[in-house]
Amino acid sequence: MSKSSDGGIDLTRPKIIGAPVQRLEDPRLLTGHGKFTDDVKLRGTLHVALRRSDHAHARIGTIDTAEAEEMPGVVGVFTAELLDALTRPVFATSKMKDYHATPVRALAGGKVRFAGEPVVAVVAQSRYLAEDALAGIEIDYTPLEPVVDPEEAAADNAVKLHDHLPGNVLVARRFGVGDVEQAMGDAPIKVGGRFRFHRKTPTALEARSYLADYDQGTRALTLYASTQVPGIVRDALVEVLDMPGSKLRVIAGDVGGGFGGKASLNPEEILVCALSRHLGRPVKWTADRVEDLISTSQSFDEIVDAELAVDQDGTFLALKADILGDVGAFSIYPWTAALEPMQVAGFLPGPYRVPNFSANVRAVATNKAPMGPYRGVGRPISAFVLERLVDMAAKKLAMDPKEIRLRNFVKEEEFPHRTGSGIVWDRSGFTECLERAADAINYPALRKRQAEARADGRWLGIGIASYAELTGIGSRLSAAPGMPINTGTESATISVDSSGAVTAHFGIASHGQGLETTLAQIVAEEMGVRLEDVEIVQGDTSAVAHSTGTYASRSAVIAGGAGTLTARTLRGKIIEAASHLLDVDMADIDFADSLISARGTNKTMSLRELARAVYSQMGSLPGDIRAKVDLQASEFYDPHFGTTTSATHLAAVEIDPETYEVSIEKFVVVEDCGRVINPMIVDGQVHGGVAQGIGAALFEEVVHDVTGQNISATLVDYVIPSAAEVPSMEVHHLDVEAPSTLGGYRGMGEGGTIGAPAAIANALNDALSHLGVEIMELPMTPERLFQVISAAQDGEAESS
Amino acid sequence: MKPPPFAYVTAESIEHAVAELARSDGEGKLVAGGQSLMPMLNFRLLEPSVLIDIGKIPDLTGISETGDGLSIGALTRHVDLETSHLIAQRFPVLTEAVKHVAHIAIRNRGTFGGSLCHADPAAELPMMAVLLDARICVSGQGGNRQIPADKFFLGALTTDLEEEEIVTRIDLPYLPESTGWGFEEISRRSGDFALAAAAATVSLVDGKISEVRLAVTGVDDLPLRIRAAEDALRGSELDDAVFSSASQIVRDAVNPNSDVHASADYRRHLIGVLVGRVLRSARSRARGGA
Ligand SMILES: Cc1cc2nc3c(=O)[nH]c(=O)nc-3n(C[C@H](O)[C@H](O)[C@H](O)COP(=O)(O)OP(=O)(O)OC[C@H]3O[C@@H](n4cnc5c(N)ncnc54)[C@H](O)[C@@H]3O)c2cc1C
Repeated sequence: MSKSSDGGIDLTRPKIIGAPVQRLEDPRLLTGHGKFTDDVKLRGTLHVALRRSDHAHARIGTIDTAEAEEMPGVVGVFTAELLDALTRPVFATSKMKDYHATPVRALAGGKVRFAGEPVVAVVAQSRYLAEDALAGIEIDYTPLEPVVDPEEAAADNAVKLHDHLPGNVLVARRFGVGDVEQAMGDAPIKVGGRFRFHRKTPTALEARSYLADYDQGTRALTLYASTQVPGIVRDALVEVLDMPGSKLRVIAGDVGGGFGGKASLNPEEILVCALSRHLGRPVKWTADRVEDLISTSQSFDEIVDAELAVDQDGTFLALKADILGDVGAFSIYPWTAALEPMQVAGFLPGPYRVPNFSANVRAVATNKAPMGPYRGVGRPISAFVLERLVDMAAKKLAMDPKEIRLRNFVKEEEFPHRTGSGIVWDRSGFTECLERAADAINYPALRKRQAEARADGRWLGIGIASYAELTGIGSRLSAAPGMPINTGTESATISVDSSGAVTAHFGIASHGQGLETTLAQIVAEEMGVRLEDVEIVQGDTSAVAHSTGTYASRSAVIAGGAGTLTARTLRGKIIEAASHLLDVDMADIDFADSLISARGTNKTMSLRELARAVYSQMGSLPGDIRAKVDLQASEFYDPHFGTTTSATHLAAVEIDPETYEVSIEKFVVVEDCGRVINPMIVDGQVHGGVAQGIGAALFEEVVHDVTGQNISATLVDYVIPSAAEVPSMEVHHLDVEAPSTLGGYRGMGEGGTIGAPAAIANALNDALSHLGVEIMELPMTPERLFQVISAAQDGEAESS
Repeated sequence: MKPPPFAYVTAESIEHAVAELARSDGEGKLVAGGQSLMPMLNFRLLEPSVLIDIGKIPDLTGISETGDGLSIGALTRHVDLETSHLIAQRFPVLTEAVKHVAHIAIRNRGTFGGSLCHADPAAELPMMAVLLDARICVSGQGGNRQIPADKFFLGALTTDLEEEEIVTRIDLPYLPESTGWGFEEISRRSGDFALAAAAATVSLVDGKISEVRLAVTGVDDLPLRIRAAEDALRGSELDDAVFSSASQIVRDAVNPNSDVHASADYRRHLIGVLVGRVLRSARSRARGGA
């Protein structure tokens, strides 16, 4: 069923791409031999403990560190005064109009802007001693009025977080197509309301961790960092520390999850680097769980007022939205505060034809941890809002939710389709995903079972969510609006060394996705070597000249493309060398499974023999050929625009009518990620994404009290679903049409988190349909269900 | 998140532990499974001068039959309660309840005595102690004493224990023959502390309730027996109407707090539902159902 536009692959060879090969990194990780940043032990390392602000908003007066400095094992106690002298501030700039940048600094100076912001760093012989000394610091704060509510923060007369800015609105933008007001006015049916998605935090298993090692001899600095974006961090540190890139190396070893929380430049990364250079010793900081929960970038915090107008037959006429994103205290580097709220707007039209669309977007600063990318960036919110609106419209029209979607999807012949927000969808299985999901769950039978359960007083609900997203975004689009960083290209360098071993260098940074395996699959197949003969080097800025990292569902597409091109170039060189060495035509050289052979003869040669001939046996090749067949290649890949990935999630849930506990009975995902490199890894990514989506739908919420204190700063209070709360799920892959990306891959790492919240919200709503309530808020915790249901039942009692 | 400095002593015996506690002048802390104490140290909520490890004291272990009940050592791990045949036979409600305590790794270390002494207001085992009329055996400098469970818990994280006292055993008197039981808990996730939990035992004579006990947790500062509801149930026919009035009595009796997980109203609502459910399962078991 796959129409391949990609002619580069010899179909007679055994397929490595597409095979469910075991992850190459797993033996290391599962036997405890992974090496995470905190596992890196360097002699003489000093440890940092941070005194973080206990105020959400306050002016910093005098800081008395005298007692702490005298405490056992303490090497130094540092404040912004020193750090500002050691570093240059960095700003997330953007070409966007009406955008205001805020500085990223190692330590807060002058003011604190969220509870948890680092203010003082204690450096000591051990983390224990450093934490002991925190008690010896006195900070004289003058509290300022905390800015907690995003709507109040956006008001003209609000207390300002950043004195140099006109107000708290860091970005304001309006866009759209057609005449929404006119279309709305004329429309027979309108649905809408206020949707609220509450703040979440990525909660990677491995908390953030950084170790800086300044070598006084070479005057070079190595930062070991638990980061998704070593390249972005390195390039920022060049400016912050005023050092050449050749003296700065960022290594992301094994990284235990990121989900976007490790995709930005963080104050602590700057801090350990500056202190290591200042002290001439390795300096380490590792977040504990509380620090992770209060200071790692957070997200999914939006208020969306939205309205959808439809025709009597269910055809969408117009969509409008007013989006207010609560972006916390700072505009995060490099993505800016625009990242999430703008994506909410950008993806709001979804996979549907929406002729008239307008969105008004504002990003407003509040006294909370900064908002950064989180798996799905904005799209979980757009999918939630739009898919709820679609169900609301279906209900008003008494149409089946499946039918109204099928009616409005962009159709096969309409691709490429430009949405009202300017995004262009290339052909992807919008309709096919929904049809297949409905088949997989046996939708008609499920509806029947639902009717029977209802008759028994059981609250069973079915929810559909369809979405589309852009992945593998190339250089013509910006991963974040107006950002001066190119995230659209990746390069690869592959070499065969003098022992015949193959090493492929990439700029991306796997943090759990299994990219060491999927990239090895691509390189192995494209080159003609066995999987186990390929060594992947990634997560290290010294591997390639330019790189950014892994985020935005890009690495398989873009690094995969670079790997493909490079492997093909190198294969050509190997075949050319072999043709001379074996004395046959290039066309008669076979190269598969790491073995080179001359077709029709019994002449064979291993890569090791070839490498020896090329590198060591000087007479083996004529000089002009030798110069051409250096066993190394470097190519880069730019997909220019990227491609569309789509999916439908279908959930069946049951709500206990007395306790309002929710159980997810069935969960089906059908997704189109183009050519599947490794189905086992794709399944794993979907499972993990859906688990996080379930967290967003039912459990996870960063809660602040009215003073701006984060009151969900432990894993007791920030509730992530555990294995027991995540149902087994069914995942199907469609391969509708190969996109124009090299290899036919579409990005798929984030999708699970995009569809699940919306599908569950719709299922909950369906389960409660007899009460006439609408689910307008996520997460739908048991408490919120209790409130919604009690209000509806009280209403019923009153009216009856 | 590192603990403050502390000294460490391994107690050889009950007397040794008591002596060390006395020597520390109220600054020392016993450590059993460490599953509640160590997090509190790591959060620096406590800064004891010395940790007195009672984990190696042989007299604190074991589950044995006395004439009229079971005597359970304070060091008995949650997992040992969960898998004990004696307990499953005599107190199946306890077997069920302990499955709801935390996760396997924590149940492997956490102890019965530690859970009671920690006195978390949403914990299951303190509720079991009040439900089952446990007698908590304590040793101190002044000798030994037994504290009835409903006098042991005084409030959130607060017990009747003196600073230099140690809980040695928990004695559970047997229930009458043909006692049915029920246990229900609602928590955010499997293994979490209860938003609300209830447990009941019902003993029947001639189809009427001769003895009934009803306990709740998660809905007040301490685990509670709801005597008023028990009084209303005792002697009654086992009908749903009585059960609903018992639920209402419980809802009125408890004083839940609101936190990030649930409001007081929701907890109050839940406990009423759970009381109905545990009474119905206790009734059906007392009548010889499963
Ligand atoms: C993630 C997590 C989830 C949990 N979930 C639950 C749950 O759902 N339900 C639940 O009930 N519990 C839960 N717990 C707590 C767990 O059950 C603890 O094991 C128990 O509360 C304490 O037992 P311990 O032996 O570990 O006590 P420790 O932590 O060693 O001690 C606790 C306190 O009791 C004192 N103490 C201990 N033994 C004695 C004794 N013999 N005499 C006098 N004082 C003593 C100590 O000095 C300390 O003050 C959870 C714990 C964790 C970490």
